[in-house]
Amino acid sequence: MSATMNLTRTEGKLFLRDPIALFFGLVFPAVLLLALGYLFPGFDEPAADLDGARYIDVYGPIALVLGLATLGLVTLPPILGTYRQFGILRRLRTTPVHPARLLTAQLVVHLAVAVMATAMAVLAVVVAFDVPFPESPLWFVVSFLLAAASVFAIGLLIGALARTTTSGQAIGMAVYFPMLFFAGVWIPRTIMPDGLRTISDLTPLGSAVQAIDDSWFGATPDVMNLAVMAVYAVVVGFIAVKMFRWE
Amino acid sequence: MPVIEVENLIKTYGDTNVVNDISFSVDAGEIFGIVGPNGAGKTTTVESIEGLRRPDAGSLRVLGLDPQRDRHEITQRVGAQLQESRLQDKLRVGEAMALYASFYDSPADWRDLLDRLGLQEKIDTKYSDLSGGQKQRLAVALALVGSPEIAILDELTTGLDPQARRSVWENIEQIRAAGVSVVLVTHFMEEAERLCDRIMVVDQGRIAAIDTPSGLVDRIGAEHRLRFRPSEPIEDADLTALPEVAMVEHSGPQLIVSGTGNVVHAVTALLAQRRVIAEELRIEQNNLEDAYLALTGDRGRTEESEAN
Repeated sequence: MSATMNLTRTEGKLFLRDPIALFFGLVFPAVLLLALGYLFPGFDEPAADLDGARYIDVYGPIALVLGLATLGLVTLPPILGTYRQFGILRRLRTTPVHPARLLTAQLVVHLAVAVMATAMAVLAVVVAFDVPFPESPLWFVVSFLLAAASVFAIGLLIGALARTTTSGQAIGMAVYFPMLFFAGVWIPRTIMPDGLRTISDLTPLGSAVQAIDDSWFGATPDVMNLAVMAVYAVVVGFIAVKMFRWE
Repeated sequence: MPVIEVENLIKTYGDTNVVNDISFSVDAGEIFGIVGPNGAGKTTTVESIEGLRRPDAGSLRVLGLDPQRDRHEITQRVGAQLQESRLQDKLRVGEAMALYASFYDSPADWRDLLDRLGLQEKIDTKYSDLSGGQKQRLAVALALVGSPEIAILDELTTGLDPQARRSVWENIEQIRAAGVSVVLVTHFMEEAERLCDRIMVVDQGRIAAIDTPSGLVDRIGAEHRLRFRPSEPIEDADLTALPEVAMVEHSGPQLIVSGTGNVVHAVTALLAQRRVIAEELRIEQNNLEDAYLALTGDRGRTEESEAN
């Protein structure tokens, strides 16, 4: 088996051994949606301030993006910081396997967890609250992948800058909460004032929520939202790769 | 036949030459020690050999290859243990060995390696649950898992208790017995004296000496010291009159008589003739540590007190 496959398998096992990452990365979006739907009165009924939509419909995409952001901005950067701080990347440089393959393995593991978390969350609201299965599945997948690419690129950049575990955590959190705000975790985008929504559109998570929401309910995502995510993925990803230090 | 040839190696950080014109070679099958104070350039030198650092000048041949240009082949044939390098806390010993073994074209049997290093019972133990000595032995195992021709070990035993250190020493002797050339960077003179065929003493980026352990000791003279409490007073002049005696010092009630050649016999004969008994007699001889301190001066002394 190739070294990248072995690294991916090993990093996958290590992810499974971290109960906190496992909870917040894998099951939290589904748990959050179930909790909101069952515990908040009227959450699964048409709401006047959402023009007749249900809160559970609006929060589906938000929870998915929240899960992605947790993986990309909270889980990933400290791992990269740890691997640099512990000299694991440097150690790999003395072997025939380039440490870039360890980063690839981490991204593959995080993407796989994100796909599973998304599938569980979608299934949870479809089964429990009669939310439709994503109505434009292809656009849904495209939106999800672009969202993942932009978030992981930012996580990689933080990992490139963080020298240690703790600085990875600190920078990650400092980016995580403002991004969640613009994603509409506290004020859903539909009820954001116009100015705020425009700013939100320019953030990768804001665009991600909009594109996933559109494709979930049968619309074609706005090109602008897709482009914002693609630009973040490419530009930030490029800077991250340029700035990445192995030690 | 040399497996490593270093000529006029220079590595500069800022405006300091951390490695300043170092040349040496390591022969196949030898254990080559590198000792020196902190910041002497030991780690920079070995990391240049490993290809982790690009020298600013000089030439490096490792197994006839260029460590920068022939990275892939060098990494296949040279195993390294790095200073202050760890593994993932939750990675198990067996998983780490299997993973690293999969990186190489012709890996060693990693279970057999764990056996030889006394880690076979730890195969399912997480890295974070290993003791310091076990972690270092695992680092040795990982350095050897690719069946390297050269193993480079950087401060392998720093931070280990004396017992763990001795057990790692036995492992290093086994490695050499298996035909692997070893480059050993160390703080401990006892370790260098016990293991190394030749030792390079570096100080401030330059070579202070390259020699066998006994050759280094001989350089500072084969001086002997007798330390004792005489049962009856004895005049210094009577002792210094002996041609073998170089110096007499007093330390409380004790006399310290130093000299060369047959000084021990000459002094004890004189004492016997005067019917003076040498109580609490201790005879000391220069060792590698004295040679090291003589070669590196105060910088070496600071180092030793930190290391111990």
